[in-house]
Amino acid sequence: MGMGSRLTSALRTLLHKQRVESELDTEIRSYVDAIADEKIESGISPAEARRQALAECGGLEQVKEAVRDQSASTTVESVIQDIRYGLRQMRRNPAFTWTAVITLGLGIGATTAIFSAVYALLLRPLPYPGANRLMYVSQAWPKGSGMPMISPDFVAAQSALKSFQSLAGFVDMGDRNLTGTGDPVRVKVVQMTANFLPMLGIVPRPGRNFLNREDRAGGPAAVLLSHRLWESKFQGDPSVVGRAVTLDGKIQTVVGVLPAQFLFPDPAIEPDVYVPADLDPDTNLSRQKYILMVNATARLHDGVTAQQAHAELQAFAENRAKGYPATFGAFADGRRMVMEPLQRDLTGDDRRSLLLLLACVGAVLLTACANVANLQLARAISRRHETVVRGALGAGRRRLVRQFLVESLTLATLATAVGLGIALAATWLIRQAGMPGEFAGTSQMAQLIRTPFGKLSAAVQVDGGVLLFASGLALLTTVLFGLAPAISGSRTDLRTALQGTGLRMSSGHEQRLLRHGLLIAEIGLGVVLLAAACLLIRSFANVLHDDSGFDARQSLTGVVQLQRNTPSATVKGFVDQLLPRLQAIPGVRTAAVTSALPLDKMFFCPNTMLAFGEGPLPPPLERPGGCAIGTSPDYFHAAGTLVLRGRAFNDRDNAASVPVAIVNQAFARLYFKGDVLGKRFRTNILAKNHDREFTDRTIVGIVRDVRYNSLEDNVQPVIYLPVDQVPLPRVNLLLRSDVEPTSLASAMRRAVTATDAEQPLFDVETMEERVADAVAPRRLVMLLTACFAMLAVVLSGVGVYGVFAYSVSQRTQEMGIRLALGASRAQVVRLVSMQALRLILAGSALGVGAACLLSKCLSSMLVGVTGRDPVSLSAAWALMTVIALLASMIPAAQAARTDLISVLHSE
Amino acid sequence: MERNQANLLQGTLDLLILTAIGDGEFHGLGIARRVEQITGGTFKVRPGSLFPALHRMEEAGWLNSFWGESENNRRARYYRRTREGERQLGIETEPWMIVSRAIASALKAN
Repeated sequence: MGMGSRLTSALRTLLHKQRVESELDTEIRSYVDAIADEKIESGISPAEARRQALAECGGLEQVKEAVRDQSASTTVESVIQDIRYGLRQMRRNPAFTWTAVITLGLGIGATTAIFSAVYALLLRPLPYPGANRLMYVSQAWPKGSGMPMISPDFVAAQSALKSFQSLAGFVDMGDRNLTGTGDPVRVKVVQMTANFLPMLGIVPRPGRNFLNREDRAGGPAAVLLSHRLWESKFQGDPSVVGRAVTLDGKIQTVVGVLPAQFLFPDPAIEPDVYVPADLDPDTNLSRQKYILMVNATARLHDGVTAQQAHAELQAFAENRAKGYPATFGAFADGRRMVMEPLQRDLTGDDRRSLLLLLACVGAVLLTACANVANLQLARAISRRHETVVRGALGAGRRRLVRQFLVESLTLATLATAVGLGIALAATWLIRQAGMPGEFAGTSQMAQLIRTPFGKLSAAVQVDGGVLLFASGLALLTTVLFGLAPAISGSRTDLRTALQGTGLRMSSGHEQRLLRHGLLIAEIGLGVVLLAAACLLIRSFANVLHDDSGFDARQSLTGVVQLQRNTPSATVKGFVDQLLPRLQAIPGVRTAAVTSALPLDKMFFCPNTMLAFGEGPLPPPLERPGGCAIGTSPDYFHAAGTLVLRGRAFNDRDNAASVPVAIVNQAFARLYFKGDVLGKRFRTNILAKNHDREFTDRTIVGIVRDVRYNSLEDNVQPVIYLPVDQVPLPRVNLLLRSDVEPTSLASAMRRAVTATDAEQPLFDVETMEERVADAVAPRRLVMLLTACFAMLAVVLSGVGVYGVFAYSVSQRTQEMGIRLALGASRAQVVRLVSMQALRLILAGSALGVGAACLLSKCLSSMLVGVTGRDPVSLSAAWALMTVIALLASMIPAAQAARTDLISVLHSE
Repeated sequence: MERNQANLLQGTLDLLILTAIGDGEFHGLGIARRVEQITGGTFKVRPGSLFPALHRMEEAGWLNSFWGESENNRRARYYRRTREGERQLGIETEPWMIVSRAIASALKAN
């Protein structure tokens, strides 16, 4: 009640200031008049009566002032005054203000944006009810991990495992052609079990989920559409349910549409069409059987711990292995079942780079805070004179502290506003980049930031909690360091303080320690970030420099995906018609087709089984493997891949001629220890049955190793086969041109349409774009880290400047005396910079030590360098030292310019 | 006795004013006179303490005010005690009595 009425009255007073003032005046005047009237009645002259009345009263203005002083409105007014005064101080000192606001704003903004991304991508529960009970199940061997379950095991596990409420799975079917609804489109298809969506708590609308009997082999041909496909292809028409669509030539019925916000729980796949899994209910494993790789996802039963479930899973797998036929013995050897939270499986590789970026921005925020703390400490001490004078003029301690508090708050508020702006802009960019659409495809910036955040990035939003945390930290810093000197300042004895400021004594020992400590920490952080950036830059250079084996310039690529079961003759016919059309395009020097292009986003490499020498075939699991790629004769020329020995394919390598092959260096090294020309091996490429149809092939050439899957992974052994002898349904087009390659895109499309109007051409891009895409995530992480490192270094530089500029300004007199006693100006510069150098060396030594300790965290992202790479560490150390020294030279030079006469005069 | 007024505790003045007003309506001078009267001339409240106290108590909601005519036909501000003020008086009276009795007996014992 008291508080409320005081506030209302304060508000009233502020709003009607004029009236309140005049009423107060009237009230007191009438009091004086009344006393004067009494005196007149008792016979005193009116003038004398009035004089006495006023005297008794103690002065009209004094009374009014006393009333105003204790009014609630006065408090509000004085806070407004403080804010005004603070703002005026900040305007008067724009260098300090802008440095502090921008420093803190950048720290808050960057931290909030990156942490919001990390939260949305790594920490926030998946958008399914009870997501923390969802697990991803896979198999691992000593040599490798992450292999999905095989379908007979999966089907057996579905009924056997008691720890799971449900065990569901999907099978990636890759790209298929959807026809019969206007232009043919390529769609991504997955098979999924009927319990998959119920396990995630997703209900299709319109329509229904798959029924339980639909997900077994020979089930009805039902499909679910993604919301995206439904909107783009069927204009969101609800009557699509029940309509028939043709998927790779097979007519299927649409039974439902998934909700718009449904997120498929695998970031690598964004399916357009879902079909029921056709799992064989027979759980026996045999050579003849068609085996699917099932990505198994499970929901734990309530009350079952992950450990219990994993133990049951492992026991189940060991038990199953006992029932495997002998030929699968090696498969189960050393096999472990792996069960990890779905969330972790989903975020996968993004994790390390996001955590790295988080650490970087955290360091930047800390540097920013340390910097502002230092700035404030220095400023508060230089304002000690002002504080003391204000105290002397009657400002109470509370009032002084409050004023510093208000100034700090104003500063932090401005910084938070700047930070919020930066965070909003950054998250908007991340979101835009994650969204399919114009922006993502066209903008360079979007290309730059898209890849590392994956498709979950659509969910990245400025996180209120994080913003609160970051600005809270900034607020704490500003208030803490803004206030501490105010408190000690207002406690100072007036006389000593005034004398001290007059004598320009250097600041207190404790404060100097604090400021120097902050500075050392800043420099150390700067070195750590710089070292990380250097290591990533060197890794990036190594990745780009490592020979890719192909020439990315002047070439255009595109993809046509024929149906999986297209007969070889049809594929061959398609290629035979297409190639002359491509070659005839003006500006094309060489046209080629291949079943795989370098840096394919989804490098499909049929892991062909091989056999060497004569005699019986080894058992399936002991056969060596290789990656088979079918190419047209001119492929190596078009790709710019050198034929090292032997020859390329030619038109005589057709289906009727002797089967031949060209291999890469890795193949030659691995299987023949060098020279392989004329050697023979057997492959079962395109064989339906694993044992029969092994054909002899003669090696006619060796080509340079080409990096097919990524620029970073090791090159696998590769066998090139003439496309005429091994027609594969995935047809990649490659044009080497004399003109700007993008100008050929429409001609390429026309050539495909002229050959087969039913075939969509997709992924048309230049080879250089492919390279850029392949290194995009690494480039972004590198760029961001480098930016953050530079930011931290600049902030540290500002910090060094601030601390020494301040200390020099405090020591003007000392410098003057030194000069007067015969010190040269160079000696004064040396004096200051030696002092700075000590701190800089301490800081950078600390930084190098910390960088060595932390290098392990980074090692998984490094290529061709170790975490303790001396070049990177010394580069980081040197750069930081130079910048910090330069920053300290400015105040040192100022010290040397100290004007002797004016110093002596000022005493 | 006037000299002691500087030391007059704030709570005491509030107490005196609330008591002085009672259930009536007084302007500033009236309240000052009434305080003097009920304390037997011990306390003379000067305007420098009176008006700040009145305004503060009005802000706190213990008093409310209105404009009226004084005996000499001047415009004057009158104060009236609110229920909140009455309550406050009740709250503050008890401890004050205890303290004053205690001090009186302590001084007598000496």
